[in-house]
Amino acid sequence: MEALSPFELDVARLLVETLHLEHLQPKDLQPEDPLFGEGLGLDSIDALELALAISKAYGFQLRSEDKENRRIFASLRALSQHIAQQRTR
Amino acid sequence: MSGNWAKLPERGNLTALRLIHWITLHMGRPAGRALLYPITFYFLLTATAARRGSQLYLRRVLGRKPRLRDLFRHIHCFAATLLDRLYFLSGRLDRFDVRLFNDQLILDQAASGQGCLLLGSHLGSFEALRALGVTVKHFPIRILMNTEHNQGMTRYLSALNPALAETVISISGGPDSLLKVQESVAQGCMVGALGDRVVPGEKTVQCRFFGQDTPFPAGPLLLAALTGCPVILFFGLYRGNNRYDAHFELLAERIDLDRCHRQEQLAEWAQRYADRLEHYARLAPYNWFNFYDYWAEDAP
Repeated sequence: MEALSPFELDVARLLVETLHLEHLQPKDLQPEDPLFGEGLGLDSIDALELALAISKAYGFQLRSEDKENRRIFASLRALSQHIAQQRTR
Repeated sequence: MSGNWAKLPERGNLTALRLIHWITLHMGRPAGRALLYPITFYFLLTATAARRGSQLYLRRVLGRKPRLRDLFRHIHCFAATLLDRLYFLSGRLDRFDVRLFNDQLILDQAASGQGCLLLGSHLGSFEALRALGVTVKHFPIRILMNTEHNQGMTRYLSALNPALAETVISISGGPDSLLKVQESVAQGCMVGALGDRVVPGEKTVQCRFFGQDTPFPAGPLLLAALTGCPVILFFGLYRGNNRYDAHFELLAERIDLDRCHRQEQLAEWAQRYADRLEHYARLAPYNWFNFYDYWAEDAP
């Protein structure tokens, strides 16, 4: 099992907290697993809820026009990298 | 299972629609409407799954075993609204008598400049209201729609009114579509969605509906909660000939969910929606356009 970086663990905590995935331990999430469909099995409502939580916590907006959205939301690792680049707080 | 509708073949519908459209264009609405009878008869004979869905629903709403005449009337009602959709799409509302009930609600909402969620259903014609809202009133309306189901029909209807097609936000399953909805609401758009069909795999809440526990999608209400906008219900009922009744009701000024009771609170709001849907379904029973085993009665 691959360990999460400290920042990935922060994002994993936000994800578990926001989406009420109490049955999961943030540290047990697999960084490369898909968030949607197979893997964590998130749906589009989860995506919106997560996007709103991210903008609140890290001070930037995720946008529907962003062509990279699928890549950004592909895995915990990809999402964490994007947040690290874009965050304003 | 309640996701059955996604599997129903739609090719027959499209062929029939093309035919009616051609006749209507060349010979007028009366000719198109006359043609609805043989078409209805054809579907009654061949669309066995849809007929079964109709039967199961009509038994509940009529409180007796439906006769062939009832089934015919049900399918005919659907076909008639499908024909009228062609007129609504081309913006020709002048020939229709659309009576509005509580439309002040929607006028006030539009005047406020604030976004909202318009929650409808497959009861009656949402096209009548979309045409009215977009084409006549120029309200900033976006429609959240599953365009993957029924692609042929979607493409055909889109071609009739490309401007209207552009107001559609298609549900993609990824992160984009609902972000788009949230942005639209924040910009003051009214976002329309239909709240009575469950897509396999989506979150549901149980409601009491026509005397039975029935899963309803939680998505539209969650969406309203996340965007913090009001939810307005709309029902566009077909009342025969050229008459439609459009009803508007406020479901919620705002849906607030607290963390610990989220599921219960969602179920309460969904139950209010289901109650209103049942009310209007009883008012206009043949407007129910979910032609599948809605209550999963035939499931093993």
